Amino acid sequence: MALTITNLHKQYNTQKIALSNYSLTINKGVLGLLGPNGAGKSTLMKIIATISKPSGGSLLLDGVDIVQNPNSIRKVLGYLPQDFGVYPNLNAYEFLTYIAAMKGLGGKALRKRIEMLLEGVNLTADAKRPIGTYSGGMKQRIGIAQALLNDPKVLIFDEPTVGLDPEERMRFRQLIADLAQDCIVILSSHIVSDIETIADEVAIMQDGKLITHGPQYEIIKQAEGKIFGVLLDYEALNDFKLQHKVIDTARQADKIKVRYIATQTHVANQSTVVAATLEDAYLFLTQNNQ
Amino acid sequence: MPFLYQIVKADYLQRTRSYYFLITLALTVFMAYAFIPAQNANYTTLSAAGYKGAYNSAWVGYVSGIMTTVLLSYLGFVLVNSGIKKDIETEVGLIIATTPISNFKYLLCKQLSNYLVLLTIAAITLVVSVCVFFYRGTGYPFILSNFLLPYLFFAVPALFVVATLAVVGEVFLGKRNVLQFVAFFSLCGIYMTMINKDGVQYEGAFDPFGLSLMSKSITHHINTHFGENIKSVSFGFIFNGQKSYQLFEWQGLNWSALFIISRLVWVGASLLLIYISSLFFHRFDFKQSASTKRKKELTLNNIKSTNTSIGLNWATLPILTFNYGIFPLVKTELLLLVRQGNKWLWLLNAGLWIAMCFTPFNITYAYLLPILLFLQVGRWSELATKEKTNRVHYFAYASYKPLQRLLTAQILSGIILAIGLSFPVIVRSVFAGDSYAILHIINGVMFIILLAVALGIMSGGKKMFEIFFLLLTYGALNKLPVTDYLGSLPHPQMSLFVAVVFCLNVVLLSLSLITRSYQARHL
Repeated sequence: MALTITNLHKQYNTQKIALSNYSLTINKGVLGLLGPNGAGKSTLMKIIATISKPSGGSLLLDGVDIVQNPNSIRKVLGYLPQDFGVYPNLNAYEFLTYIAAMKGLGGKALRKRIEMLLEGVNLTADAKRPIGTYSGGMKQRIGIAQALLNDPKVLIFDEPTVGLDPEERMRFRQLIADLAQDCIVILSSHIVSDIETIADEVAIMQDGKLITHGPQYEIIKQAEGKIFGVLLDYEALNDFKLQHKVIDTARQADKIKVRYIATQTHVANQSTVVAATLEDAYLFLTQNNQ
Repeated sequence: MPFLYQIVKADYLQRTRSYYFLITLALTVFMAYAFIPAQNANYTTLSAAGYKGAYNSAWVGYVSGIMTTVLLSYLGFVLVNSGIKKDIETEVGLIIATTPISNFKYLLCKQLSNYLVLLTIAAITLVVSVCVFFYRGTGYPFILSNFLLPYLFFAVPALFVVATLAVVGEVFLGKRNVLQFVAFFSLCGIYMTMINKDGVQYEGAFDPFGLSLMSKSITHHINTHFGENIKSVSFGFIFNGQKSYQLFEWQGLNWSALFIISRLVWVGASLLLIYISSLFFHRFDFKQSASTKRKKELTLNNIKSTNTSIGLNWATLPILTFNYGIFPLVKTELLLLVRQGNKWLWLLNAGLWIAMCFTPFNITYAYLLPILLFLQVGRWSELATKEKTNRVHYFAYASYKPLQRLLTAQILSGIILAIGLSFPVIVRSVFAGDSYAILHIINGVMFIILLAVALGIMSGGKKMFEIFFLLLTYGALNKLPVTDYLGSLPHPQMSLFVAVVFCLNVVLLSLSLITRSYQARHL
């Protein structure tokens, strides 16, 4: 199974270009989308989910044009939008039954499947309660359950871990890893560690363009030798920030440990090269692209 | 105070910067034009037993002013009664709740922005009335005060009261729109009855619209000049065919100090009402729903370990079968329709439904059925807007064949419920062998459902349909032929009437499909 995106373009008006000549081939496994706000991640996901039409370019799922034939992907699609809602008067079971009906699911096994999904997202005890009374995390889990209802082959998760507690996030990542063996999972998150843990490949976007794409180690390689660490006095930190791009700081006894991006010619005294992470690489690449 | 101004301004801009408000304004221009009918028109807006005013400044200005006051009082309530609800839906209310603004100031801001919206509409009708005066061109001199004063003393204070009642309704009846409408219209109905009663009028001081003052002045003028004994005037859009009227020159009202002071008292009472409401305002702190009260107390035994969260063995999930029929969707849509709104309203529905089985057929058909259908306005208006309101549209639009399946299911569920509600009338028509009535009712309920869906989809909200349906019901109850969507009035060509409503249904369905088809691919 492959999703081939070629020269995808989305323009809302003369001022706003959301996607520009975006090309990418996505295969089975987890693709992590990274990018600052307004980079075009959600637009790309909406186009793949068939709820937004591109201004140009093509989108093929196993050779079938899904812009022209949206129903072909809808049968195998699981989509969790970023700011979705629920019908507050329905309970979890009724809501999932409704979404299942929208997806064209039926048969005797459906009830069992919904029960198992509710159990899987730990909502069995609350399944008969109106969703309007749920907390944010519980609603998010309902969202995850609905995305998995139809045995999807293409799963799109836009900021899926928002509202989940650390344990749920960990479980969610395990679930995605299981699912990715058999389907395409596209996942966007501002929490780079989520992407780092589960994504086989990473695509970094900025201003509607694809900056880079590839396996994590290749992305990280681009930042190797550009990330440094140094111990500073507290008083020196503000001046240092003016001269260098600081990524992270960690307080120590009477000093502060600073992690920053620099080229060899602009390295501060007593700095040491540190191993780059995906977050470092993301920051390095998006800074460089500005 | 400057911060109050900023809040009111922002709220006002939020409400008026919409496609829906533009349509409201367009409708306002049309209505304002219709307030002053041509001399040979087949309807009147203000007349008295064969007498009608000549179109001088006073008549045009006052009729326009009083029509605006009364109609905008009714429709305006529906138009503005969701200011707080919007803050709940958008969750802006939660932010507001954490700010230092007091309940009174917040409610006052809401009331003032309601008021500004209504005043904007009133200002437009004022301008249109001046234009209509010159357009009709009957040669009378233009006197500006005859246009300004009725708006100043009728519309300005009355709309202040309406803006207040909209806020009060939201505070005490929450999101129960239908109950708010019922309470408000009942209140207006009681007042209108009291106004029309003979007796001491105290210069119209107790009349929030000022209608009694005008009525008294006009009847007095006719009785004095023509030796008549007329007691009341006919007010509102009254279709009675082309009739010849005796014209009289009415010069307007002499404003009494008592009446002007009474307007200030109404405004003061409104402010007091807001203050009282502020003492009961929820400030966006809602209790859990009633169903949670019965929830079992948690014990150590029934607390489940959180280790099971999002732990799913994919391989053990049952194999799925696909069913692309729409029956399950219709079932859930019906469930959503039934659960919408306050469940106690079903008691009222049930009462009316039973009454429709026994009340004389002509009353059932002409009055009870349109009323029962109107009571469901909240249900119909949510049919195709709830996805957007509840942000479920992402799932809906990305589902398999959303137009052919989901939209069809929504329309079907609406029609099923509407026919169920009309069932007593349909059955009685069957027994009476009145096949036209059956056709009319089925056509009519389909029209309402398709209108709700089309206006909901096109405007993106519920308000437009709610106002339109209110006007339609008002017209139908007043036997206005053009609004007789249920066909309860005799029509010269019954088959043609059925065909016209049917064609309208086809147009509405087409518009809905085309618009939703576009929306589903352009989020």
